[in-house]
Amino acid sequence: MHTNRMKRTRRSVLLAGAIAAAVAVSGCAAGGSSSKKAAPSLTAGSAADIKGDVTVWSWDTAATALKRLAPEFEKQHPGTKINVVDIGYDNAYDKITVGLKSGKGLPDVTTVEGPRFQSFLGSFPNGFYDLSTLAGKYKDQFNQAAWKTATDEKGRTLGLPWDSGPVGVFYRRDLFQKAGVDPNSINTWDDYVKAGEQVKAKTGTKFISLDPAEDNTFSMMLQQQGQGLFKDGKVAVNTPQAVKAMTVLKQLSDKGLVDWARGWDANVSSTKTGKSATTPQAVWWGGTLTGEMKEMSGKWGVFPLPAFEQGGVRTSNNGGSLLTVTSQTKNPKTAWAFTEFMLANTANQVSMLKNEGLFPAFLPALKDPFIARPDPYYGGQAVNKVFADLSSSVPPIEYTKDGAKARELVWTAFAGVALRGKDPKATLDSTAKQIAAATGRQTAG
Amino acid sequence: MSPRILGRAGAYLVLLAGAVVSLVPFYWMAVAATHDTADLFRSPPPFMPGGALMDNLSRLQSEHHFGRVVANSLGVAVVYTVLSSLISAMCGYGLAKYRFRGRGVLLGVVLATMMIPMQVLLVPLFQMMANLGWTDTYQAVILPFLANAFGIFLMRQAFLAFPDELIESARIDGAGDLRIFYQVVLPGVRPQLGALVIFTFTSQWNSFIWPLLMLNTEEKFTVPIALNQMIGLSHVDYSGLMLGSFAATLPIMVVFFVFQRQFVAGLLGGAVKG
Amino acid sequence: MAALQTEPAKLESVPVADAPRPRRRRFSLTHWWFTGPATVLFVAFFAYPLAASLYQSFTADQDGATVFVGLRQYRRMFQDPVLAESLVNTALLLVIQVPVMIGLALVLAGVLNASWLRFRGGWRLVYFLPAVTTLVAYSVVFRVLLKTDGGMVNQLLDGIGIGAVDWLNNATWARISLVLSITWRWTGYNAVILLAGLQAIGREQYEAASIDGAGAVTTFVRVIVPQLRPVILFCSITSTIGTLQLFDENYVLTRGGPDNATMTPVLYLYKVGFDQMDFGYAAAIAWVVVLLIGLISLIQFRFLGRGSR
Repeated sequence: MHTNRMKRTRRSVLLAGAIAAAVAVSGCAAGGSSSKKAAPSLTAGSAADIKGDVTVWSWDTAATALKRLAPEFEKQHPGTKINVVDIGYDNAYDKITVGLKSGKGLPDVTTVEGPRFQSFLGSFPNGFYDLSTLAGKYKDQFNQAAWKTATDEKGRTLGLPWDSGPVGVFYRRDLFQKAGVDPNSINTWDDYVKAGEQVKAKTGTKFISLDPAEDNTFSMMLQQQGQGLFKDGKVAVNTPQAVKAMTVLKQLSDKGLVDWARGWDANVSSTKTGKSATTPQAVWWGGTLTGEMKEMSGKWGVFPLPAFEQGGVRTSNNGGSLLTVTSQTKNPKTAWAFTEFMLANTANQVSMLKNEGLFPAFLPALKDPFIARPDPYYGGQAVNKVFADLSSSVPPIEYTKDGAKARELVWTAFAGVALRGKDPKATLDSTAKQIAAATGRQTAG
Repeated sequence: MSPRILGRAGAYLVLLAGAVVSLVPFYWMAVAATHDTADLFRSPPPFMPGGALMDNLSRLQSEHHFGRVVANSLGVAVVYTVLSSLISAMCGYGLAKYRFRGRGVLLGVVLATMMIPMQVLLVPLFQMMANLGWTDTYQAVILPFLANAFGIFLMRQAFLAFPDELIESARIDGAGDLRIFYQVVLPGVRPQLGALVIFTFTSQWNSFIWPLLMLNTEEKFTVPIALNQMIGLSHVDYSGLMLGSFAATLPIMVVFFVFQRQFVAGLLGGAVKG
Repeated sequence: MAALQTEPAKLESVPVADAPRPRRRRFSLTHWWFTGPATVLFVAFFAYPLAASLYQSFTADQDGATVFVGLRQYRRMFQDPVLAESLVNTALLLVIQVPVMIGLALVLAGVLNASWLRFRGGWRLVYFLPAVTTLVAYSVVFRVLLKTDGGMVNQLLDGIGIGAVDWLNNATWARISLVLSITWRWTGYNAVILLAGLQAIGREQYEAASIDGAGAVTTFVRVIVPQLRPVILFCSITSTIGTLQLFDENYVLTRGGPDNATMTPVLYLYKVGFDQMDFGYAAAIAWVVVLLIGLISLIQFRFLGRGSR
């Protein structure tokens, strides 16, 4: 047998070899390597540059739309191949975040929701192609609130808006009629609360379904008043506007008008089973109604979001996504060409509204006659027209990279006020302090 | 009635109650798999099977290529289970029955990889795979987790209870280390080996976040990724999800039934070794 | 970590393992045949990620670049009420849920191992099934079951006159829901491990005990449980690790709410890392979790490793 020393030497060699191999494999990739490079920017190329493969990540109906329209692009540009991957929505951001952080593994083009894109931009300012020179010409043709989500704080454009989520109130025609409430008389949130009491007294039905853990109604009400969770870089969750919004939500809860429904499925179920008479929500909620609640045809209608004071803004935004070209792409020109083909294109945007229910942020598409078509599901109301008219008045708001952190704490504040009866002003003040402490920012309120 | 009979009847009753609690969610999963998604939002939700099973099945196949996805998952899980179980059993044996310098360190490393939350290892591990050019491959799905701390620890604890005298007497009979391992020791821990195979298969079969990060072509997707595709932004295909999830438990049931026999076989092994 | 590496020496005092060892193999190389493959795989695939995550805990992302910030991320934890709350929640789970679950699993394993039991394979499968549900199905099913208004459990409770419970929206009940759902999912799993351990104990041991005239329960407690100690230790440690790393259940059921009542450190670090993209802080929390798990495992090794003999 061997001597002790030899054995140990051999073992050390083995270990050292394995470690060396591991180090070689991991390379020099300590930390977010790619993010140290400056964001590449893209300038115009010729049609000859449009060739080769482009991979696009998306999910759900958006992926369906991409897969449906990609062959058309390939036909227009022979020699290109568009490879659409449906990565599922639920954990899509885990996949995208890991790709951004490790500087590897991202596709050429990916779908991202607007607010999420803003937090990506905050953390990975060089993760995406600067499209300003090429996309700039389309600026006026897009919904400005949506355009803002594709723009960073330096004013660079790093994506092209796809769909948007202008907000209105979906309401039950039958219940309103039974309670003798005229939806056209609801102009302010005060009117809305009063209408809720009347509907509850006459029909026994609650007025609104809210999620106790992750509800975005408060944020919607903030955007309606032209602000986000931050204002000029300062924490703005305890401004007078914010207190007003939270007070309305507290009133609704205190008066027993809220049906609590945790999670998406519970929300859908609440609506389907008639637990609540209205849903203040973005246009895409209509897809859920017509998809999961066919039997409720004729029972629903839409009116604009109540304002905080007479004559105030009657809408907000919730959701909406964009396509962005990642800086990891080896084929940026084709990636941009495909993005442009999909989104800055009236025919395609209209066809995606018709087929997949994606409501365009591209304003020329909203002039299509299809928009004004009366919809039998809503008792003949042309709901797309309602949202299209609201679309241009959605206030653009400021985003920061700390949005996710703030949103988390705001959800907690909302639960405290609405479920535990805490005071809106005091709660929001303390939430603002917490956010300020967690993000190193000042408070604006 | 004798106290013994009463005791057994009581035990059956408790067992039955527990079984109902265990099974109710599965029952509902099966019921949901036979309904239209829209139906599931009714209140109360349906308790009895509906007639949409075939519709759901054909949608699963046409939209998510469920057959191919199941085949992918099976391939990955079987390869992983065979290799990982063997490696775990061997390493557990080495840790339990050999004294060597660095044994404490190795055990520490095994336990440490169990202790560190996966979530913070994802990015560096992903970087490694990307540097190797392994993204979108099955070896990237399988290899990093092949040395499974849980399995090694399970087997180490099992081997600790295995009598040293048996190993020693086999050695006196002239058997080599590997032969002792395969012919004397492994049969002695068949129950735990059976459990190990079941757990290893289950963990790989249900593994979601790592395969989702590694795989980039839909042709290569595994069952959990396909199920995840059914969760959209404003539409969730709940009935497809339930059917897919229910179908996904079937292979696990088969593996369980096959390998839990090892539990019983262990009894005989015990008799032989005693 | 350093403390753990000294552990194996203590482990040898586990009763069944303290038979004399084959001394002459002390410095042999043959163990590499067994431990080699796993060691190589660990070094190849975990050395870098572990080191990288440790390094990351001393960094922060600033304007797209990663910079070294020393202990700043660790200091942040002292002023983080959410993290504090998540640790309190975890402590509650550790003290209440884990012992109850292991106890239940032990009883269950004992019954499933009884010689008079019929359809054993069937029973085992039934109890094992909850552990193999996919996470997505789990989340949907439990929300359907626990929905306050019209949920199945509440309909049942209403039916027998107890009245509805606000399962997921009230802090206390959300915690109870969490405990119930973890117990539902993992009791059978632990029972299967314990059962395998039971089966490895020879039948003759039971028989010997029966000849002595011990009743079934006494045999189980006096003869079987002590022999199962390595397996019970295994279940306790893995359940403790599972609890300290709890993520799945509260992620799908409550997302840590309401008001952080069901927040756990790992769910929190996931949110910090993947939602807020504060990777340095997430890594720091992770390493504190490792430290906590290490400490608690050490205590368990000592307590269960040589305890009550």
